[in-house]
Amino acid sequence: MTNHPTTPGAREHTFDAIVIGSGISGGWAAKELCEAGLRTLVLERGRDVKHRDDYPTALKNPWEFPHRNKTPRAVVTANPIAKKCYAFDEASAHFFVKDDEHPYVQDRPFDWIRGYQVGGKSLIWARQTQRWSRFDFEGPARDGFGEWPITYDELAPWYSHVERFAGISGNYDGLETLPDGEFLPAWEMNDVEKHAQGKIMGAFPGRHVIQGRCAHLTAPQPQHLAQNRGQCQARNLCYRGCPFGAYFSSNSATLPAAAATGRLTLRPHSVVESILHDPVTGRASGVRVIDAQTKQVTEFFARVIFANASCLNTNLLLLNSTSARFPAGLGNDHGLLGRYVAFHNYRGSLSASVEGFEDSYYSGRRPTQLMMPNFRNVRKQETDFQRGYMVFFGASRAGWQQGNYAPGVGAAFKDRITRPGPWGIYMMMQGETVPRKENHVRLSADRKDAWGIPQLVTSIGYDDNDEKLMRDFLARGQEMLEAVGAKKITARDSKQNPGLDIHEMGGVRMGHDSKTSLLNRWNQLHACTNVFVTDGACMTSTGTQNPSLTFMALAARAAQLAVAELKKGNL
Amino acid sequence: MNRREALRQTALAAGAATLWASLPAGTWAALAAPTAWSAADEALLTLIGDTIIPATAASPGAGSVAIGRFIITQATDCYPPQSVEILRRALREIDDASHQRFNQSFPALAVAEREQVLTAYEAAPQSGAHPFRLIKELTLLGYFTSEPGATQALRYDPIPGAYVGSVKLGPSDRSWAL
Repeated sequence: MTNHPTTPGAREHTFDAIVIGSGISGGWAAKELCEAGLRTLVLERGRDVKHRDDYPTALKNPWEFPHRNKTPRAVVTANPIAKKCYAFDEASAHFFVKDDEHPYVQDRPFDWIRGYQVGGKSLIWARQTQRWSRFDFEGPARDGFGEWPITYDELAPWYSHVERFAGISGNYDGLETLPDGEFLPAWEMNDVEKHAQGKIMGAFPGRHVIQGRCAHLTAPQPQHLAQNRGQCQARNLCYRGCPFGAYFSSNSATLPAAAATGRLTLRPHSVVESILHDPVTGRASGVRVIDAQTKQVTEFFARVIFANASCLNTNLLLLNSTSARFPAGLGNDHGLLGRYVAFHNYRGSLSASVEGFEDSYYSGRRPTQLMMPNFRNVRKQETDFQRGYMVFFGASRAGWQQGNYAPGVGAAFKDRITRPGPWGIYMMMQGETVPRKENHVRLSADRKDAWGIPQLVTSIGYDDNDEKLMRDFLARGQEMLEAVGAKKITARDSKQNPGLDIHEMGGVRMGHDSKTSLLNRWNQLHACTNVFVTDGACMTSTGTQNPSLTFMALAARAAQLAVAELKKGNL
Repeated sequence: MNRREALRQTALAAGAATLWASLPAGTWAALAAPTAWSAADEALLTLIGDTIIPATAASPGAGSVAIGRFIITQATDCYPPQSVEILRRALREIDDASHQRFNQSFPALAVAEREQVLTAYEAAPQSGAHPFRLIKELTLLGYFTSEPGATQALRYDPIPGAYVGSVKLGPSDRSWAL
């Protein structure tokens, strides 16, 4: 052992590895570490959520929700931040934190969406999973705002590793801007979507319309059946937890795999107050935990520590892990901890109607949508803004809600509104934001939470680049919908706050240079190498892809390195 | 795993035929009676809802699912506080309109007369948001998310099993519920 625990009972509190957080990246760290033979403690600040058993609304019919799945005003008033999330409703509210129990300080408006439970936000994520391309990893250096210490080729085998286990559906599209992965069969497009695909790709070479890629088992393989996970039933009620285990979550997949090794200890209600630093070894020796319910303080020790508390909470934890060696937070020798936080720009969207296709319909509820990989500034700088955006879109027919705006009463009215209405088409953006030093989080000097831990202050905002990028999306979207032949095109800027994208990244960024970054190419803190950060906090830039798949690949890769370094005696 | 097998496994895993059971009759009658509303007001709202969405050959009407109780509960719990007063105003105005037009209260009218009153009321200009919009929205919401509305007036498939992108729509095919 390289650490020297002195607390009474230290032996029972000593593990080979500690993973802080049980969400999408912590689950992966736990699985890989346990399977490699390490006795691993997973600390989760929230309650336990058992796969299937703790999905109380998963099989409910609409008429079993007293407010037909709308959120009562009292709940909305008590949760002014969580209620903004599209996935927050009567059927899923129990997987979101209660805002008043977890206050934070908004220097500038930031909607921090959190899920404190075993499984974290992997229960309520949007499940869209695309690989980054080489352009995304090379972009920051080309554009002069950062440097990724890894290449696409280095991460590609780890993408494959996590894709095979998680189960990702998609087409082999052969695009350099969005590399193919290990795919299960893709979802189908409907007739209007196929029409739009043909029109857009005909009119705009280089703008590729492809089916979305998502973590749903469209055709479970033996490795998925071995996890007791079954085929996606196209219910699209995923935010309630999936009783079929058809989408990937920590609860359905990685945590059971870790537990199956017999080496996992999962400890819910464990708020990690800080990571302990041992001045003798120069390494982290363990963590200090406050019981979320009793507030009792306990320490746990291990040779390797993985921080997967979710992007901003990992920042908070490291900032709060002060010691003689690191008075400004663990690994923070240059004041950059908590800085260069970025996110995804979701502000722009368009909707329109499509005439015709009246005898065409669809069945089932698809858990993904069409995508257009970024086509802006890919190979070189082409516009008056930096970076680019992914476009999501889809088409569907109006249901009974068409009656809300239609005049009339009686049998004829009822008959009319129970038939499928006109087709509508929508587009939305997922834009890259450039990490800025001034976009940061820090600890409040005076406000504390219920466990005596300083509250997080968020100081994160949009800039001129984000505005220009959004305007470009709205203009390109308009021209594409016109090419489709859509009518009544409406463009919208939601002006939503940063954070509501739920894609916050950075603050503990990776880089070659320890003077300008916190983590090395293996996600180890430059200045404390037995601490690994493999959640969103590690990200040097945001790309235009949904980020979770990359967190998973980075976590699995770092875990393998940690095991190898332990075996060599380097940790 | 096919759909039948998925269902079987889920029922076993969840231990639960009960999970599939609905509220009594799958209607809003199971809600507690609203306290600040008279039975007559609730009955009038139900009658208005049943006029908007009446029983037809294929499916029951909104009156069969205690729609008045749902409208009051939903407006009280989920809508802006002034919504309750808007509902009360609409009830007064609709009853006034039926007296003016037919010299009788709304419940005493024949179905065709009730439809005439509501059609005229909906078409009459109002300053601000039209109260009938609120009643209609809540009626459609409550009815099409009730068991009869979802399963008989629409097509309800809790476990589709797959997404099929291109399905020929037949002349009598209804929309999917949800």
